[in-house]
Amino acid sequence: MSRGWRSFAIGVLIAVLVIALIPWVWMLLTSFKSRLDALADVPVWLFKPTFEHYPTVFLDKNYLPLLWNSILVASVTTALSLLFGVPAAYVFARHDFRGKEDLFFFFLTTRMAPPISVVVPMFLLFTTFGITDTPMAVILAHSTFNLSLVVWMMRGFFADIPREIDEAALMDGHSRFGMFARVLIPLAAPGLAATAVLCFILSWNEFLYAFVLVAFEGRTLTVGIPGLVTPHGTLWGQVAAVAIVATLPIIVFSIFVQKHLVRGLTFGAVKG
Amino acid sequence: MISRGISSALLDRGVAPLLLVPAVLLLVVILLGPFLYMVWTSLTDLSFALPDRDGNFLGFDNYRRLMREDAIFWHSFGLTMKFVAIVVTLEFLLGFTIALLIFRFVQRRRLVLTLLLVPMMLAPVAVGLIWKLLLQGDFGMVTYYLRLIGILDIRDALLSNADAVLPAIMLIDAWQWTPFVTLVMLAGLLSLPREPFEAAVMDGARPWQIFRDVTLPLLRPIIALVLLLRAIDAFKEFDKIFILTGGGPGTATELLSIYVYRLNFKNWDLGYGAAAAFMIYLVVLILCAVFYKAVYWREGRPRQVTS
Amino acid sequence: MGVRFNQVRKVFPDGTVALDDFSLEFETGEFVVLLGPSGSGKTTACRILAGLEEATDGAVEVDGRDVTRLPPRERGMSMVFQNYALYAHKSVFDNIAYPLKVRGTPRDQRERKVAEIATMLRIDELLRRRPRELSGGQAQRVAVARALVWDPAICLMDEPLSNLDALLRLHTRTELKRLHADLGRTFVFVTHDQEEAMTLGTRIAVMSEGRLVQFDTPRNVYRRPATRFVAEFIGRPAMNTVDGSIRSGRFRAGIIEVFADGLADGPATLGVRPEHLLVHETSGEGRIPLEVDVVELVEPDTLLFLRGEGVSFVSRMVREGGEITPKSIVHVEIPQKYRHWFDASTGARIRSGD
Repeated sequence: MSRGWRSFAIGVLIAVLVIALIPWVWMLLTSFKSRLDALADVPVWLFKPTFEHYPTVFLDKNYLPLLWNSILVASVTTALSLLFGVPAAYVFARHDFRGKEDLFFFFLTTRMAPPISVVVPMFLLFTTFGITDTPMAVILAHSTFNLSLVVWMMRGFFADIPREIDEAALMDGHSRFGMFARVLIPLAAPGLAATAVLCFILSWNEFLYAFVLVAFEGRTLTVGIPGLVTPHGTLWGQVAAVAIVATLPIIVFSIFVQKHLVRGLTFGAVKG
Repeated sequence: MISRGISSALLDRGVAPLLLVPAVLLLVVILLGPFLYMVWTSLTDLSFALPDRDGNFLGFDNYRRLMREDAIFWHSFGLTMKFVAIVVTLEFLLGFTIALLIFRFVQRRRLVLTLLLVPMMLAPVAVGLIWKLLLQGDFGMVTYYLRLIGILDIRDALLSNADAVLPAIMLIDAWQWTPFVTLVMLAGLLSLPREPFEAAVMDGARPWQIFRDVTLPLLRPIIALVLLLRAIDAFKEFDKIFILTGGGPGTATELLSIYVYRLNFKNWDLGYGAAAAFMIYLVVLILCAVFYKAVYWREGRPRQVTS
Repeated sequence: MGVRFNQVRKVFPDGTVALDDFSLEFETGEFVVLLGPSGSGKTTACRILAGLEEATDGAVEVDGRDVTRLPPRERGMSMVFQNYALYAHKSVFDNIAYPLKVRGTPRDQRERKVAEIATMLRIDELLRRRPRELSGGQAQRVAVARALVWDPAICLMDEPLSNLDALLRLHTRTELKRLHADLGRTFVFVTHDQEEAMTLGTRIAVMSEGRLVQFDTPRNVYRRPATRFVAEFIGRPAMNTVDGSIRSGRFRAGIIEVFADGLADGPATLGVRPEHLLVHETSGEGRIPLEVDVVELVEPDTLLFLRGEGVSFVSRMVREGGEITPKSIVHVEIPQKYRHWFDASTGARIRSGD
């Protein structure tokens, strides 16, 4: 392959990266721009940064509870999904029973279920439970897709551990529970961590369930974003500050799980 | 100690499948229940906007109306299909090309991939917001440069132009999800065995012949997978459009999920809305089944019995 | 009183019958080898003894106690797996110490015992490594150390040598035999390799199709095979067998005719080991003329592949066979005391033959 082709290809890839990154970077810049710079007719790339938007929107405008709700919802959903999903994944990986693959398909459909189709009856159901407008409602809703993600991902990670390891643990004197908790879980720990982070990301990023199921008290950051966009004079500096706080942790997290990301997002079908 | 004793007993007695019960129960209550309720509602005239429509049974009237009389539904359906077809094709072609370039020309891929991942990890709502800012008519950064190079008229803005808005949203979706295709296809390329390529070289095949006759066939399962996953996701697209245009201008970007949202939360026509919602569920379910068949060869292998 | 399998039956969910009416009894301190071709149920028997599989029917007793429904941890047995099943996330030391730790042995004792067994198996230098930094032979020793460190009553080994290369396998075999002699524990060893079985076992349980065919010392399994299956499975090259029939004290099969004193008339199978055939260059009473097909020099032995009308024999000679060339005719004698007789339909040994 000639040098020219190589340079061309590298050039294309650099352009791709620039296109991929500039929009978010622009948002980042906007979060430090004064109102004047943000609304300038000609895009402003160099400016004197202001740090007022973050405190304004999170302290004065009370967006801090939204951040807290996002953390709460994502963490508890992740914990709940792992608690219920990991044992189920283990059963799928190690045991045979009638209708196993049909049940596995059921888990897939719950992962794929379009939120718009079930969010209305879910809203009515949660109203009966009396939990609408609480983080609990969003936690349960997010568990539907995260639980299935855990089952699908962890089945693969458990299946990667040779069966003889189970048996060696039993011969070494463990009960079945001890084998699962003391040997399999530590061995699957990298996969478990990746699964947990992915659960957290998916819950953190989710919008529609959270938007419909909570109005005030349980709002998450994603739900709070549209509220800042008004037809009359959106304060883009503040919007940007919220958007950055809502996305920066996720970008950091995704670097940690990059290795397992492909596997998680393709339901275990492709090992990254 | 007690719970540990019980779980050990469960595992020992060969009734381990009982460990599935909590997970299944949760999904049945939180998801299957609402789903069944939706199916039931779709057979009634339930509405929160009109006093006398409190859930009288209609049979399949809602579906009949949806299929035969609802021009907007078909408009939305058509838009959604167009959206899915174009977006998936575009993302696949771009994503696969980028994957091939990275595969061929980049040795240290980790940094490139990390940077490339950023768009797909962002919350779709945030993506909508970012592009809303970039495409603002009076001060949007992208708007400015598009006008500068003459693609966009001085008075025009992409998001309020009924002809340009859908392609713009498609491009935004491609911006967010092309990295996903790249990531998966690159994983696929890296997992390919060497031998077929060496054999093809020994057989005297030229590079493009190798690509057509060896690379593509070997990647076929992964191509199918990535197309299906993207199609399912694109079919459900809601967040970005909701933020960017809310379905407008007019109904120019009113995809199915936005239309269903409008039926339920603007018109409060729950019975009819449920019928439309069911149609989305049905399509997703079919795509799901196809996807499952496509990956089944990997999962659920029968257990081997050794002597 | 040792271990007792009492009419154990195992059917897998897919309908495969792995063990069928399997009964076997042996004493504490023995080195028992479960030998059989794949699918014979030897691994299943071992795993049922371990408690890793549950018997569908029948019972397993250890020292007079019924352990059929006991979980593995309550059976006091250990196991060496074919692929060693070391914990990848633990060091060699932690791998070996693990069964002690699980069983609540205090730390100082753990360290002492691991050091002891490591010295015995000459892996003291490796204790800080991770499993992936071990060679196959080293990993195998670590697996053995893990299985023996806590003094289990019985140590089970499921084809533990099959992932080693030939030379290492021979070496490890000798070492296992010495370990058994030194420790005096009960070893149960599963293999499909008859040579391994012959060299290691104090007794060999030959299995076929889920049943026990013969349980005896290596010497008796070789000298007095209970069935034609055992006769052909033990010994390399395999025993020559010829189907024919006996009439009034004479066995005939093609050109073969030998005395079969005291055997009933009717169809029968004659067996003779390659190493017991006497090959002469001249004809004589009771000698069978056969054409030499192939000569293989397997120093110091010579293998002759012989053909005659309707029969083919393999002969293994210790003496120089260099003078015998293909296409030549040799005269083969089947000495009376090396003749094995089997029932033509059941394959069972006919006792009066020896």
